Amino acid sequence: MPSATITEKIVSRAMGRKVKAGDLIEALPVDKLYFNEVIGPPAILNFEKDFEDVYTESGKKLQVFNPSRIAFMPDHTVPSCSIKVSQGIRLMSDFAKEQGIAMYKEGDGIEHTIASEEAFVLPGEIAVATDSHTCTQGALGSLAFGIGTTEGENLLATGELYSFTVPETIKFKVSGSFQRGVYAKDLVLHVLGTMGEGGASKRVAEYTGPTIDSLDMDGRFTICNLSVEMSARTAIINPDSKTFAYVSEALSRRKMTMTDEMRGMAAKSDPDAAFSQTVEVDASAVEPTVSLPHSPANAKPVSQVDDPIDTVFLGSCANARESDLTIAAKILKGRKVSPSTNLLVIPASRRVYNWAMDNGLLKIFADAGANIESSNCGPCFGKHMGILAPGDRCLSTSNRNYKGRMGSPEAFIYLGSPAVAAATAIEGRIADPRKYLPAGES
Amino acid sequence: MQMRGTVAKRFEDDINTDYIIPAALLQESWDKQFFADHAFEGYDPAFGPACRANKESIVVAGDNFGCGSSREQAVYAIKYNNVVAVVAQSFPDIFFRNCLNNGLLPIQITDTSGISIGDELVIDLDSKSLSDRTSGVDYPIVATDAAIELMKKGGFLGFVRDRLRHKLNAQPTRASSQ
Repeated sequence: MPSATITEKIVSRAMGRKVKAGDLIEALPVDKLYFNEVIGPPAILNFEKDFEDVYTESGKKLQVFNPSRIAFMPDHTVPSCSIKVSQGIRLMSDFAKEQGIAMYKEGDGIEHTIASEEAFVLPGEIAVATDSHTCTQGALGSLAFGIGTTEGENLLATGELYSFTVPETIKFKVSGSFQRGVYAKDLVLHVLGTMGEGGASKRVAEYTGPTIDSLDMDGRFTICNLSVEMSARTAIINPDSKTFAYVSEALSRRKMTMTDEMRGMAAKSDPDAAFSQTVEVDASAVEPTVSLPHSPANAKPVSQVDDPIDTVFLGSCANARESDLTIAAKILKGRKVSPSTNLLVIPASRRVYNWAMDNGLLKIFADAGANIESSNCGPCFGKHMGILAPGDRCLSTSNRNYKGRMGSPEAFIYLGSPAVAAATAIEGRIADPRKYLPAGES
Repeated sequence: MQMRGTVAKRFEDDINTDYIIPAALLQESWDKQFFADHAFEGYDPAFGPACRANKESIVVAGDNFGCGSSREQAVYAIKYNNVVAVVAQSFPDIFFRNCLNNGLLPIQITDTSGISIGDELVIDLDSKSLSDRTSGVDYPIVATDAAIELMKKGGFLGFVRDRLRHKLNAQPTRASSQ
């Protein structure tokens, strides 16, 4: 039996036959499909327009391929920030009701956080969604990637993705312990800096090695999330006991348990599988890192940067889960945000928000002088909650610092970890978090 | 099958879809032309007028054109400004597929540096070649046969309708719930 990557194994399972990288699949059945309120409304309208006559011809009512495999998650600019956005959410909600699709509420969370926290996506599954950061689910050991509107409408109809080439894999073998004050975000910004914005194009970024094994799930989500910034097809991490513990807990919140069938879906790369490239990364050499304007791949050690900052955003699908808020709260506890800086905190989901409230983190942020908003994508989408003016400088824990991403094309965006964000909020300039970490804190 | 056009714009490497169409506009319309009216608004506002100056325009870029966000509106923004093709050294997958789905030709050649604004290009999908009629240089197009087929068809829609018809007819009572 020839060896295979986790990606090849997942596609082989879905196809019921052995496939390898480079194979062209005419129709790939997808296990899970989710939509945000940006692309959901036009995808629904196109689905009705392009396929209704086919259903009518066949004597059937317009019906999605399988409502239990689909979810709608309004998250980008909620609570709704415009009449058109509200119309779109209404359209999704009416369609969801009519079709029996799960519709989440505004504020339930960012789609990629909900998808994992609600165990909507499971290890070994193929998941697609109308957002490039769908690759976040790779941390669960699922093959997950973004699609456009047209693929979304096609999938609503048939549950299949067409003309899919099984991607090759680039393996990142990460070893070494993190220095104090270094987290998953610093590691992935460092990797982006090495690879460049197009460095992993068309390939799956698979992360392995002792450093990845030692990361908690939140850190793994961060690493997979940002891998699309080097144009990876997606990212993936082989599932282990931490993955299964995370998924079991997520299932238990829905009064479900992990079945043998679910566990049987999970796959792992064989050690001698064929990788198109192997990149060795020494995590112990990574310093706290920021990416400077205007590219996520423009990574520099934080010790070399001290630019003034007007806005700090702690949020987004990249870095707003429990461990992210925990480290920021440790640094901000008993301290104040600089008079020259606004700190905006947006937890990644309602569950994370409520957890942060129950555990006193929201009070720490509020006492420090932060603005705290209900869960959504916030200013990372450049439409509401902290839009930047020309000349503004923002340090964000999100994933994209393109010119104009968060407002004016003449603003400057820096990317960093929650620890860098907290230290920067205190100083009003890009700051090294290490001096604020409590003694003994890594 | 041949397509012709005039090079109306040149871009550097790593043009992301946020540059092509800013996020703040994405939810404000379900009309594709709306996005063409705002193409490259914050990055290169001259884009629309330059492309609309020709009946059939072509955009030329370096590596990794269309990276970042999956927004298909980026393809509408380009296509509905009279653009028939984007010629670049590489495309990330999501943007490439979005192009195929909308009949905007994503043409990959290994080096675009010799193509200038104003050049007349002829794209021949059958022979997989791009001919710069102004400079007289021919370039082989890098593409799989499957991608060329989809470029000729202008997308998957007909195929997907057939697949759906087949699925619906295979299920006598109601649409598949498998």
